[in-house]
Amino acid sequence: MVEKRKIRVLVAKPGTDSHYRGAELVAQILRNAGMEVVYTGRYQTSEMIVSTAIAEDVDVVALSSLAWSQEKYYTEIAKMLKDKGTGILVVGGGIISEKAKPKLLKAGVTGLYGPGTPYEVIISHIKDRVEKERWGTAPKKAAPKKTATKKSSSKKC
Amino acid sequence: MAQDNLSPSGIPIKDIYTPEDIKSLDYKKDLNASGEPPFTRGPYPSMYRGQAWTARRLSGFNTPEETNELYKEEYKLGQTGFSVAPDMTTCSGMDADDPRAAAEVGHAGVPFSTLQDMEICFAGLPIDKMSTYLADRIGGVLTSMYLVMAEKRGIPMAQVRGTSANDLLAWSALNLLNQVGPEAELRYAVDLIEWCAEHAPKWNSLSIDSYNARDNGINAVQEIGLAMSNGIQYIEEEKKRGRVPLDKFVRRFSFNTAVHNDIFEEACKLRAARRIWYKIITERYGIKDPNCAKFRVHVQSSGSTHTYQEPYNNIIRIAFQVLAGVLGGAQSIHANGYDEAICLPTDQAMLLSIRTGQLIQYESGVTRTIDPLGGSYYIESLTNEIEKKVWEIIDEVEAQGGLAKAILKGWVHRLYRDAIVNYEGKIQTGEIPVVGVNIHRLDKVPYEVPIFKPDPKRSTARQIEKLKKLKKERDNAKVKQCLAKLEEDTRKGLNVMPATIEAVRNYATLGEICALQIKVYGEWKHPMSI
Repeated sequence: MVEKRKIRVLVAKPGTDSHYRGAELVAQILRNAGMEVVYTGRYQTSEMIVSTAIAEDVDVVALSSLAWSQEKYYTEIAKMLKDKGTGILVVGGGIISEKAKPKLLKAGVTGLYGPGTPYEVIISHIKDRVEKERWGTAPKKAAPKKTATKKSSSKKC
Repeated sequence: MAQDNLSPSGIPIKDIYTPEDIKSLDYKKDLNASGEPPFTRGPYPSMYRGQAWTARRLSGFNTPEETNELYKEEYKLGQTGFSVAPDMTTCSGMDADDPRAAAEVGHAGVPFSTLQDMEICFAGLPIDKMSTYLADRIGGVLTSMYLVMAEKRGIPMAQVRGTSANDLLAWSALNLLNQVGPEAELRYAVDLIEWCAEHAPKWNSLSIDSYNARDNGINAVQEIGLAMSNGIQYIEEEKKRGRVPLDKFVRRFSFNTAVHNDIFEEACKLRAARRIWYKIITERYGIKDPNCAKFRVHVQSSGSTHTYQEPYNNIIRIAFQVLAGVLGGAQSIHANGYDEAICLPTDQAMLLSIRTGQLIQYESGVTRTIDPLGGSYYIESLTNEIEKKVWEIIDEVEAQGGLAKAILKGWVHRLYRDAIVNYEGKIQTGEIPVVGVNIHRLDKVPYEVPIFKPDPKRSTARQIEKLKKLKKERDNAKVKQCLAKLEEDTRKGLNVMPATIEAVRNYATLGEICALQIKVYGEWKHPMSI
C-alpha cells in the first residue's frame, strides 16, 4: 500500500518578537496531527524564512508574531514565495487586528488564527488548503524523504 | 475525596479541612509572628500595618523622552516606585542602530543605548525618594547607567535604592537573541551581586525572577522550585569564589514571582516560599543573621491568564490575582493592564492597574490585620503540601548539578514545553475553565476596547539620530580604552563591574558592551524543545 504523503509545514517567527509560546505549541499540534514540522526558532528575517521554506521543501509556512510588524512580515513573505513561483502556501496566527485581516487575506495569508482557536480549526484549515491548492491542481511531485536534512538555522522535530 | 479536585499544582484538595489536617503544626517552629523566623507570616513585624506594598507598574515605551513623561504621570497618580521595562532591542543587548533591531526600537518597552538615555528617562524624577526596578539583562549595564546617572545628580551609589533583575532563570526563559549561555550568565550575575554587596548596599542586586518561567505554563510548585534552585546556585557559586562573606552576599536577594488565578494556592505559595528560603539560608548555609533569610517578593498578575476575548473580564482576574499577592504578603505588586492580551496598555488601563491595588489597600479591609489567612486548616495544610513538593523539585535540579546545568542541557525548556502542551490542552478540552473562552462563550464579540498604538517608527529614527550625535561627541579614545579594560577583566575572571561602570560613564553603548560578552563567551542558542 502506498502511504499517503505527509503535509510538511515550516513554523516560523519573523522579527524580534519574543512571544514563542504560540509558535511552539502550534508546531506540536501539527506534528501530533501527523504533519512533518520544521521550526525555525525566532528572530528570522523574511529572506531566512523563504529560503528555509524552499530548502526544506514545505507545503505551508505557518507564521506567528504578536508584534506590530506582523502585517509587514506576513505580506512580505507571502509575496516573496509567490514571486519565486514556489506555490508554497502561507497561513498566520497571533493577535491580528480586524483592519489587517483583509490586507493579509488579499496577500494570500489565510487562517489568521487568534487566541483560543480550537486545534481542530488550525489542522483542518491547513489540510484543506494543501489538498485543494497544492495537491489538487498542481502536478504531483515525488514524495520527499521522510527525514529532512538538518539545517543550522532550523530545528526538525 | 473526588479525584478531580486537584489544585493547579496537582495537590489533592479535600472538600473540608479540620484540626486533624494541621495537628502536627508547631506554631513557633512552622509559623511564628510576622518578622520572626521562619517568616511564614511575613518578613517584617508590622507588614501592611506599617507600610503598604509598593505599587510598581512595569512600564516604558517608544523613547526615553516619552517614558519620562509617562513616569511623571505615574508618580502623580500615587505610584511609589518605578519599574523599567526596556524594549526587546535593549533586552537583547543591541543598540538602536543595530541592523538586527530592524524597526522594533521602542516597541514593547523603552530603549537604552547609552547613559544619556538613562539620564533623559529619569530627568526631574525624585529618585532620591523612590526606588526603581530595572529589568536589566545579565551584565549589569543598565544598572551601571542608573547608578552613574544618580551619582551625577549628587546621590552617592551607596545611597541609591532599587533592584536589578540580573537573573539567569528569567533571561533563559525569555530566550532572547544575542545571549551568552547560562554558565556565563551565572558569572556575570554573581559579579554584580558581589560588587553591590561592597559598594551599593541599598541596591537589590538580584531579583530571582520566576515570572516568565511561570507564564510558560508551569505550575506554582514548579515555579517556586525553580526560583529556590536558582537562589541556591548563586550562593554555591559565591561559595566557590569566596570573595564576599555569604551573609553579606545574600542580604539583598529579592524575588519576583507571578500571581496566578488560584487565590489560595498563590497565597500559600508565597507563605511556603518564605519558610523554604529561611531553611535554605539558615539550615543549609548556616547563615546566622535572620535578616538574610527573608524572602522578599515582588509579584505581578499572570499575563498568560488574560484573555483576548471579552478583555474587561481581565480586570476581575487581575483584581483576584493582586488580592492573592496581598493575602500572601508581597512587598511590591504590579497589576497588569486588562488589555495586555491585545496591545500595550492604554492610559485608561494603566490608571486602572494602579487603582486595583489602591482599592484593595483602602477599601477592601484585607490589610486590617497581618496574614489574615494564617491558622486556617486549609491554608496551613496547603502551605505544608506546597513546601513538600517544592523540596522535591529542588532535589531534582540539584541532582543535575544545579540550575545553570539543567538549563544548559535542555531540562528546563522541556519542562516549559510539556507545561505549555498540558496547560493549553486542558483549556482546549475544557478541563481548565476560562470564562468567555471555553465556557459561557458568546457567539459574537460583545464589545470593542480602545487599542493603544505606539509609534515605534519615529522612535527608531529619533534614537538613531541621538546615538549618532553622541558617538561623535564622546571621547572615543577613552571609550576604546574602557572597552579594552573590560575585555581584559572579563577574560581574567575579575569582577566586571568596575570596568563596566567606567565604560558606561564614558558613554560606551550597551551594544558595545554586550558584543564583548559574546566575543568572550560566544552566543548561546537556547534549546527549542518542540
